[in-house]
Amino acid sequence: MKIRNFPRPFIPFFALIFRLLLAIIFLYAGIEKIINPGDFSVAIYNYRLLPDSAINFVAVLLPWLEIIIALCLIGGINVKGAASLSSLLFLMFAIALTFNLVRGLDISCGCFGAYSGKINWFYLMRDLSFFCMSIFVFIYDRGWRYFFG
Amino acid sequence: MGANNFSEKILSTFIEIIIILFSALFFAVIFNSIRSNNIPLFGFSSAALIKEQQEEIPTITLSESYDLYMKNKLVFIDARDPFSFEEGHIAGAINICPDEAHLHVPSLKVKSDQGFIFVTYCDGPQCPLSKETAHALTLRGISNVNVLLNGWNLWLNAGYPISKGKI
Repeated sequence: MKIRNFPRPFIPFFALIFRLLLAIIFLYAGIEKIINPGDFSVAIYNYRLLPDSAINFVAVLLPWLEIIIALCLIGGINVKGAASLSSLLFLMFAIALTFNLVRGLDISCGCFGAYSGKINWFYLMRDLSFFCMSIFVFIYDRGWRYFFG
Repeated sequence: MGANNFSEKILSTFIEIIIILFSALFFAVIFNSIRSNNIPLFGFSSAALIKEQQEEIPTITLSESYDLYMKNKLVFIDARDPFSFEEGHIAGAINICPDEAHLHVPSLKVKSDQGFIFVTYCDGPQCPLSKETAHALTLRGISNVNVLLNGWNLWLNAGYPISKGKI
């Protein structure tokens, strides 16, 4: 197997780097959230955005969604779908963060499990960067075959 | 032709999204049903949580806590931030902020089994940290947790033993 198109042209190369970076982030975030679902549901509740009936469901589903997205991004499978969901998730996280930062709530971010740091503007910038990376991957990713002929 | 291609791409992306969502749902439900610390899928109750959080944590007086401290039957838990802790704390106290309570549960359970009483404190009569750490520990199954209100000030003014720096 021969490596080609690496590192130039740069755009597919950066799409690959972003794809793998997002995969690592999602894998880590998903595993951290799975460890203690009870505490993670409290972290979701603290955002005061979801009705009680949806909180546990989201606390159970979201970590697995992140892990499946991570596996798709690593494997180069269903990348368009994974990148779409990734950008949608980061956009939702950013909206939730903004809403509570403006309201002045002093709550745990819950970004990487129940015991992440308190929400702040840096986390919002970080989410928006990940959102941009997801869009970049969606548009420019060429899959593993582009690099391994 | 171009429009067809575009709508095909949209459709294939949509199908991929559905596949990922259903895979996640499948694994999430299966894993949650077999794990030991599972949660009911639709059973969250904010009312129960608020009630749990509002349950009173017992308080302890300065003299009671000092007696138990001198008899080596008590562990002080400093709920303030690490910088304040480094500047000065009750001698022998451990530093546990509310957010970090879960990290200390295993070691505190051992001490609890040995019969130790835990007393959380922070600085000032309105300081919420001692209560928050006490709640976090109680919720995770640590028993015998008490709060010494305005603990650091009282202890310092009484001239009881203190120390500085990290542990």
